[in-house]
Amino acid sequence: MFFELNEQQKEFQKRVREIYEREVSPLVEEYERKEAFPVQLYPILGAEHLLCQRCPKEYGGPGLDKMTECITVEELNRICVGIGASIMVHGGLATDPILHFGSEELKLKYLSPAVRGEKIGAFALTEPNAGSDASGIRTTAIKQGNGYRLNGPKTFITNGTICDFVTVAAYTDPSKRGTGINLFVVEREDPGFYVIKTLKKLGNHSSDTAELAFDDCYVPKERMLGEQEGGGLEQLEGTLKSGRLTYGARSTGVGQAAFEATLSYIKRTKRHGQPLARSQAIRFIMAEMAMSLEAMRYMTYRGAWLFDRGFASMKDASIVKLFCSESVQSIVQKAMAIQKNAGLRADNPVQRFLRDGRLSKIPEGTSEIQHLVIASGLGL
Amino acid sequence: MDFQLSDEQKDIQKAAKEFAQGEFDPDLALELDQSGKFPEAIWKKAAQLGFIGIHYPEEFGGQGCGLFENLLVIEAFCTVDSGIGSALSTVDLGSEVVLKFGSHEQKRQFLLPLTKGERRLGIAFAESEDNGDLAVINTIAERKMDGYYFIHGKKSYVINVSLADSFVTLCKEPKEGWITLIVEREKEGIEVHPVDKMGLRMIPFGDLLFKEVLVPLGNRIGREGDGLAHMDHCYQTIGLKNVARALGTAQGAFDRALQHAKQREQFGRKLSQFQAIRHKLADMAASIEVARCLAYKSAAEYDRGNMDHGFLSVTQLEVGRRLVAIVDEALQIFGGYGYMAEQAIEHYYRDAWAIGVELGTEEEQKDAIAEVMIGPSQ
Repeated sequence: MFFELNEQQKEFQKRVREIYEREVSPLVEEYERKEAFPVQLYPILGAEHLLCQRCPKEYGGPGLDKMTECITVEELNRICVGIGASIMVHGGLATDPILHFGSEELKLKYLSPAVRGEKIGAFALTEPNAGSDASGIRTTAIKQGNGYRLNGPKTFITNGTICDFVTVAAYTDPSKRGTGINLFVVEREDPGFYVIKTLKKLGNHSSDTAELAFDDCYVPKERMLGEQEGGGLEQLEGTLKSGRLTYGARSTGVGQAAFEATLSYIKRTKRHGQPLARSQAIRFIMAEMAMSLEAMRYMTYRGAWLFDRGFASMKDASIVKLFCSESVQSIVQKAMAIQKNAGLRADNPVQRFLRDGRLSKIPEGTSEIQHLVIASGLGL
Repeated sequence: MDFQLSDEQKDIQKAAKEFAQGEFDPDLALELDQSGKFPEAIWKKAAQLGFIGIHYPEEFGGQGCGLFENLLVIEAFCTVDSGIGSALSTVDLGSEVVLKFGSHEQKRQFLLPLTKGERRLGIAFAESEDNGDLAVINTIAERKMDGYYFIHGKKSYVINVSLADSFVTLCKEPKEGWITLIVEREKEGIEVHPVDKMGLRMIPFGDLLFKEVLVPLGNRIGREGDGLAHMDHCYQTIGLKNVARALGTAQGAFDRALQHAKQREQFGRKLSQFQAIRHKLADMAASIEVARCLAYKSAAEYDRGNMDHGFLSVTQLEVGRRLVAIVDEALQIFGGYGYMAEQAIEHYYRDAWAIGVELGTEEEQKDAIAEVMIGPSQ
């Protein structure tokens, strides 16, 4: 065992931090306020090889491993969780299933431009009546001629209004609950694809979240992932596993940002004539924040390390997600509480860290679902 | 000990709840929260019905109730909407100083218009993010000519900054010491600078600048040198009101989560049929009961005139941490919907943090409790 990033990884971490501070930081305030994603970032990050990082070289991707991706994700989310959400979905849920289950033609068609940031991907599984219970979706894809007709609603879709293509889960056989699902790539221009509305949220304001609808949306059969009908949810297994590890890095990133902001605040602030940094209670809080961050970061690295070697189970990934997304809550909450009234100001990033950090316990399996997955993994 | 509300108290509670349910439209609440606007029309109606200053004596427009009854109204309002409820219960912020230390004439002048919904009040004590930090308070009021003070200085995090018609203001007079003045917003030399904030967005806060503002002697509340006692009293009553806001907000979040859990189906079952969710709801309910016992005990003690500072801190500490935990869990029960602004729970979460900040940090409350138990830290 060797518990440190190697020289190459450290060098990479330094490089991405510089890029994000240069390219992303200046956009955060404006786009958080506008509640929109800065789409101009896509080609910039594409040129820096920071999109779809695990996409192999043959499709134009950088072909990096999960560990490197987690390092990158932490750095981006340290700057902005909302912007991080878009980049995560693009390089994960939207394109991962295409990479693993798409035909050669689909890979060339969607992955190469996605890697360059010329096309933005989204992923649509969740529906108004099916969140944690993914098998409960009602969107159908009924065979017709040389393709499928999609009908149904989707909600909470990251990149929903800005995407060029969306990977959609729908029942090809509604009679087979859970197993009769397939994934399709729908293009923005496909007739019958509608963006119903953009959703306002507690946090992640610079990420675009939308409600979509498919109304007799015709998709040629070549855009179904995989050859056979059914098995779409199983195809998502690897992607979800990877996504849960990504959430470990996302939580660590925003936790790190909150920690740094708090450290700087208590060093420069006096209360009742005394420096805050002299308060024993505050010193304890900082020690605990630092401790949590270490644990979160190394759990994420371990998960990524296992994943890269093909050993990571869903239980491993869920443990990382649950631990990190719960641990970050006390970090962002303490960061907020310490600054009191100053923390409430919209121009103080600490309240953004609180709102953004709160998200972690919900998507890609709520904390409750993670508990259930872990318990199943224990053989219960 | 009597652990029951009187019939009159139950009636007040019921009337407040019915008023709020009738008037606090969820779409309006969302719109006002997003745009940061005060619920003007609802405020006027609430005043007409006697909900503002219910605890003032009748001669000053009140109904002669105790602060306890005022807290019951605040709790009921915030249960129905944390944002509107908090905004309505903040229009008379600082009035307790006038009520306790003001002259008969001042009470008529400043309290009566509050109860009629004609004027709003604010407090200008703090000059840093920390309300209680006297070390940084520098606003000077000088008695330069007969019958007037000249104020100069800058107050920060002033609640109701762009909304209040006058401010209960803590100043230092070079000879008289700490004094409390009521400063009208329309006076020349006053500037208000509201800042955008995360929670309780219907209640503006921000900076208040005094540049040689002239204030008549008649606007000084109580005696010279008593400013700090006024501030203490004010924070004590504001503390109790914040406890009531917190209690209502926790209850409102719980009510919504319970209703959602009973309606929402996943995996072919109502959420309320999953043990993990049932236990969360049970925990929240238990926590609210504890918070309510502490809140009501504090309020009753205050009205009996034997308010214990240490116990108020215990109440603020416990209610504050329960508030955040309950609202957080309520949001979690809503899942993805809880994170979306369309659900009221989203602004309950932000409002809970804003109320929590007003209740003080855990560390401050623990300092205060320890000081009562052990004596000052050396």
